[in-house]
Amino acid sequence: MKEKKASNYISIRESRKIIKYNIKQMKYYEKLKRRKLTEAEYTSPMRDENNIVEIDGLKTCFFTDNGTVMSVNGVSFDIPQNKIIGVVGESGCGKSVTSLSIMQLVQAPQGQVVEGEIRFNSDAAGRDAEGRKLGFNIAKMPTKEMYKIRGKDITMIFQEPMTSLNPVFTIGYQLDEVTLLHDKSMKKEDAKAYSIELLRKVGISMPEHVYKSYPHELSGGMRQRVMIAMAISGHPKLLIADEPTTALDVTIQAQILELLRDLQRSEGCSIMLITHDLGVIAEMADEVVVMYAGKVIEHGTAEEIFFHPKHPYTIGLQKSKPLLSSDANKPLYSIPGQVPNPINLPDACYFKNRCAHCMDKCREKYPDTVKVSDTHSVACYLYSEANGQNNDETAKEIDNG
Amino acid sequence: MFKYIVKRLLLSVIILIGVSFIIYALVRMMPMNYIETKYSSQLLQGTVTWEDVNRFMDLYGLNDSVIVGYFKWFGKLVSGDLGESFKYERPVAEVIGDYMWISFAIALIATILQFLIAIPLGISSATHQYSVRDYTVTVLTMIGLSFPTYFFAAIVIRVFSLQLGWLPSGGLIDPGVDYAADFAGQMAKFGDMAYHLILPILVSVVLSVGGLMRYTRTNTLEVLNADYIRTARAKGLSERTVIYKHAFRNTLIPLATLLAGIIPGLFGGMMITEEVFAIDGIGRLAYRALREGDIPFVMGYNMFLAVLTVIGTLFSDIMYAVVDPRVKLAK
Repeated sequence: MKEKKASNYISIRESRKIIKYNIKQMKYYEKLKRRKLTEAEYTSPMRDENNIVEIDGLKTCFFTDNGTVMSVNGVSFDIPQNKIIGVVGESGCGKSVTSLSIMQLVQAPQGQVVEGEIRFNSDAAGRDAEGRKLGFNIAKMPTKEMYKIRGKDITMIFQEPMTSLNPVFTIGYQLDEVTLLHDKSMKKEDAKAYSIELLRKVGISMPEHVYKSYPHELSGGMRQRVMIAMAISGHPKLLIADEPTTALDVTIQAQILELLRDLQRSEGCSIMLITHDLGVIAEMADEVVVMYAGKVIEHGTAEEIFFHPKHPYTIGLQKSKPLLSSDANKPLYSIPGQVPNPINLPDACYFKNRCAHCMDKCREKYPDTVKVSDTHSVACYLYSEANGQNNDETAKEIDNG
Repeated sequence: MFKYIVKRLLLSVIILIGVSFIIYALVRMMPMNYIETKYSSQLLQGTVTWEDVNRFMDLYGLNDSVIVGYFKWFGKLVSGDLGESFKYERPVAEVIGDYMWISFAIALIATILQFLIAIPLGISSATHQYSVRDYTVTVLTMIGLSFPTYFFAAIVIRVFSLQLGWLPSGGLIDPGVDYAADFAGQMAKFGDMAYHLILPILVSVVLSVGGLMRYTRTNTLEVLNADYIRTARAKGLSERTVIYKHAFRNTLIPLATLLAGIIPGLFGGMMITEEVFAIDGIGRLAYRALREGDIPFVMGYNMFLAVLTVIGTLFSDIMYAVVDPRVKLAK
């Protein structure tokens, strides 16, 4: 306890130093954003043409008064076309910040993308000399260019449908606004007809009535449907759903998820589904990314993550999920300990203090990512080559122990 | 809506009766009265005796008890008569009607300028929170906010009229000039009036901008952190549209409260500013009447303000319903 207090304590001198450093850093990154770039400077070749978004070594940090928080610390994963990618993790592990980085919506000037690439596969970017498909690097892209992508090719639904719609404008106005913004050829009447069609598409009965309503006249589920309608209006390539069902009751949750899946199929877009609900992931996702303290610790297909989880954290998450068959008298399993303080994390496995299989190695260096299969990778020493080939057995051992 | 307004108006009649009694009681409790102040020098010299004063007091109704005096005043009011001013020796309503408009002109221009300056400043210092701009604007407006009116007016007069000699120090028109009655003469007179009003308007704008600017800044900051602003950005709207359309409409909602104070502010005159700049507006007249215990005028003026305040509050409540679709006025 004493130690913890000491680590949180900041002397006035240190605090001044931090503030000075923050101002310098924020100014530097804000300046970077404002400089003029030619298109070649913010496009780079895609690794795979079939990916919509490729995130490569993304680092997003927040310059707070207590020090620099690395919310996203070197995250890499791909979002393939026409797939649902689930991102799971505890609160504060960087899921939302990753998605906001893709949208360039990180709260500036405190929050900044400091490193890495987010390549967005757009037809507008063309091909390079070697014929490789080019993508826009969102991490570097000027805000002005980003306006064209945001809300059209990449859209987002938020956690809180109750407060996500502007209370003083009608639903119709807010829907028309997106349509008119991204499609200049549309006239007002066309936009209205299209908005009503969108409302019908997301399963709202009496769309003409809802079109004229204000947000406060609708229920939470209805508002989330309106948000979804807004998100699909420009036929997006990627829809980011940041905990879309957390604030809704269970029956509505199921409806919204079903709607999202149907739309994903009919529109042919990809969905990045952020949630901490493993049940939602199991039902929806094709691929799963497990995040912990700003890093991806395990990545695989839904089947691999659910039936053959590797990382002790993922296994712990699975165990802490209540099942119909679990004994109601026994307390539910929970992973011991807490997420580490994200300021000045040492170069060691972040899960070391909560892990039952912690080794000396874990305290020395952050583990590299190990490929378990073509699609499955994990960042844990238990599976590095020195520790033997029979990975599945190791996992089972952890499960039982 | 109509029902609501009628109900509010009926309620305000009761409020006004209560207000008028309180004001009357307070005015009567003032340590001096009109007759004693007026004849104090003659009393000292002995040209007027206490008996005469007492007779005058009877005549002016100053010997009645507060209750009796109030009902006499109220009885006249019901028949539409605000009484006759002791000091100005004319019906109160007429005096107010005559001198109100110059105060109104000053206040109207000052209020418009105040809004035009304070709202953009508030929004821009909110969008550039903690920047050099934010701090500069805040410090300057806070300086303006903390100056007492008479002090700032005195500085302004000293600098601009005495030292630089650019602007007149007071009055409404140049007393040495006779303007012709034709159009050109009237325009020249109007120009002269405008020239005389620059300093008073400057003083009242500088002093009032701070409050409104801070108010706008706080509201805008609150609105900018709202989820729907993030949604608006996520839609792909430009930062300009996000701030001036989506955020601004929501900033306006709390600003509607301010409207309640604006209406009495527009017609009520500015006592200190008018007095310092020697402008014969309603504020200056009321200030003098108050100093000399002119009960009918003080009553008339305060009732005028009370009525305006009641109307202002009602107006701001109606504006709430106009600006915010979530507010519905009860029947």
